[in-house]
Amino acid sequence: MNKLKLNYTSLSFLPILVCIPLGYQLINNIHFGGLKLFQEFLISAFNPKIDNEIIITVINRLNETILIGFFSWLVSIIFGAIFGIISSNIFYNIFNIPNIFYRIIKFFLTIIRSIHEVVWGIILMQIYGINFSIGIIAICIPYIAVNSKVFAEQLETIDYKSFESINQINAPKFSSLLTLIWNPIINTFKNFGLYRLECSIRSTVILGLFGIGGIGTSIFLSFQTLNFRELWTYLWSLAILIIISGLIFKKIKFNTKNKILSIFFIAVFFITILFSFSYFLYFIFKNNFETFHSISSLFKSSSDLGLFDFFKLILETIILSVLSTGIAISLPPLLIGIFNNNTSKIFIKIFALLLRLIPTPVVLLTLLTFNNPSLSLAALTLGLHNAGITSKLLFTNLDNQDRRNYIAMKSLGISKKTSWLLGLFSQQAKSYLAYCAYRSDIIIRETAIVGVIGSVGLGWQLQESLSSFAWQEVTIVLIAYSSIAIIGELINGKIKNSLT
Amino acid sequence: MNNILLELKNISYKYKNDLILNKINLKINSGEKIALLGKSGSGKTTLISVLNGTIKPTKGEFKLFNKSFEELDRKQKSKITTIWQDLRLIEDLSAEQNVNCGLLAENNFYFAFKNLLNISSFKKAHKYMQLCRLHDSIYEKKIRKLSGGQKQRVAIARSLIQGSNILLADEPFNNLDPKLITIIKNLLLENVDKNNTKKSPKTALVALHRLDLLNDFDKVIGIRDGKIFFNIKRNNLKKLHLDKIY
Repeated sequence: MNKLKLNYTSLSFLPILVCIPLGYQLINNIHFGGLKLFQEFLISAFNPKIDNEIIITVINRLNETILIGFFSWLVSIIFGAIFGIISSNIFYNIFNIPNIFYRIIKFFLTIIRSIHEVVWGIILMQIYGINFSIGIIAICIPYIAVNSKVFAEQLETIDYKSFESINQINAPKFSSLLTLIWNPIINTFKNFGLYRLECSIRSTVILGLFGIGGIGTSIFLSFQTLNFRELWTYLWSLAILIIISGLIFKKIKFNTKNKILSIFFIAVFFITILFSFSYFLYFIFKNNFETFHSISSLFKSSSDLGLFDFFKLILETIILSVLSTGIAISLPPLLIGIFNNNTSKIFIKIFALLLRLIPTPVVLLTLLTFNNPSLSLAALTLGLHNAGITSKLLFTNLDNQDRRNYIAMKSLGISKKTSWLLGLFSQQAKSYLAYCAYRSDIIIRETAIVGVIGSVGLGWQLQESLSSFAWQEVTIVLIAYSSIAIIGELINGKIKNSLT
Repeated sequence: MNNILLELKNISYKYKNDLILNKINLKINSGEKIALLGKSGSGKTTLISVLNGTIKPTKGEFKLFNKSFEELDRKQKSKITTIWQDLRLIEDLSAEQNVNCGLLAENNFYFAFKNLLNISSFKKAHKYMQLCRLHDSIYEKKIRKLSGGQKQRVAIARSLIQGSNILLADEPFNNLDPKLITIIKNLLLENVDKNNTKKSPKTALVALHRLDLLNDFDKVIGIRDGKIFFNIKRNNLKKLHLDKIY
């Protein structure tokens, strides 16, 4: 008997097998109580509410969203670059600092990064109450750590020989550092900066669903009051904002040779640092006593969380991540492969766009109208949202690929689907899987969002513990959540390295 | 001519289990021009890396200006300039920015900043680039867009602009045509300081493969398997010596 040989192409499709247990549970959980509501939700998409009052509200809420998103982006990209520098090898080589500090900073940033902005937001809201700056801080904390990783990865690519060469000139250490890191930092900002602004706006919307303000809060309130026409007005306006900003970002090109522009960017850089520090000090002093009270209560409160229940929650979170990742990996190539004609592709692209645009909590709440809350439903929601993102990448890569193999195979009489699979997709499978490995890091962190709403895993427990001010439980849950994310990141890092 | 500038005593360097340099003893006097001969992998590059302080020898003593390398201050260390075999230019910077990097040691942080923003003066850099016969059309081009010969001359211009009086060069004439080799050789070995005004003795140790370029050197050192096989005046070089190392 022939042995089954796995290659990158088959590995891209195999994870779809997660749909078997998932589908079984979903079918068992169907209820028809909310089917009318779901129908109403779908119809409202084509009939959103449009009047003067709502247009003014939309403009105001979008302004808030853009402001929170923009400021959190600005601060997180600048501090991300700074932390990226001090968490890269080159910094320690130039200043001859012992390697242990490099490891400590890396570890510290990994922990910060492992906790999703929604979790930071919920915790900060619980301690400091709801205000505009909490949204910015909640996004900035993990985003600084995420951005620092990207900057550090770019700085690690600096040729060690260039370092030796500059070092041998015996320039002052700061001059050497600046000369070596300048271009990698600028290039990372050019390639990655605007994408992070889009992410920042999305995160603001999600945090809004948890009450931080902006259009997210309006979406959540209209969903709670079952005002679907109003809900779709917000969703479409958000979609327009993201599409228009995406188009603008594509057009923007940074010209680093423009001296006035460079000086302007440097001025913004220093003003942001100055402002952030001043605000940080103001925030600390203003909230000093309340913070102290909350932190001290951490040691007083006791935990009612049983060991068995706790491990069950951890297991649920891991299973949720695995199932969602399976869908996110396999669904896009499967759909594109099966429905391989131009009309279907347009429909798939629109479907993927909607999956990316509609915040996961809204999708989950909608699905809850005809399905009981379960791990499978949460996994399906998270998987679909991320499949929307992976499919965008897959479409872009397939569109840019050399089609000669595909044409040659078709000319040999091989079917269109097989030619697509072997002539096009097979050449993309390796890089696609590498991107999915990176994506699964994000999926693990996002389990917190669907967990809170879908009553699953550690996310749900965190919400429960925070509501009852059980700070010891909160700490335990956060440690567990962070540990899963860190282990996941290590495993995915190894997979990604083996694929690139 | 006889004051010792640089001294190596029993220098050995081991990388993993391989002995790359084996008990090297060497004295270089101020103003001496020395050619370093040896086949590929004989230890020439490692010897140069020890001399410029990039790698620390596993054993032995290395003195410059009668001080160990650790005792030297930044100003003293900057008296050495190196042209690397693999050039080690910063690929993302332009040719003129790379040449200006040679001035980093004598300037402050603000100069580095201006250099990267393209708002510093490139007058001096252009002067050395012209000396190396680099056309002004390549001044603003990024290193990655230059040919091998152009990159070689940018590295040489960067070294010359440093105005150091000790030159360590690892096959600096690679990628150059015969006419350029003569020009560059004269530039590298001539006894002129950075302002082109005062004569100052330049000490040079240059790793070479081409024997027809030995004319301007005072001494020739032959190295094989990390050991110095001969250290003689150029006029005394015989075929017998070359047979020992090739």
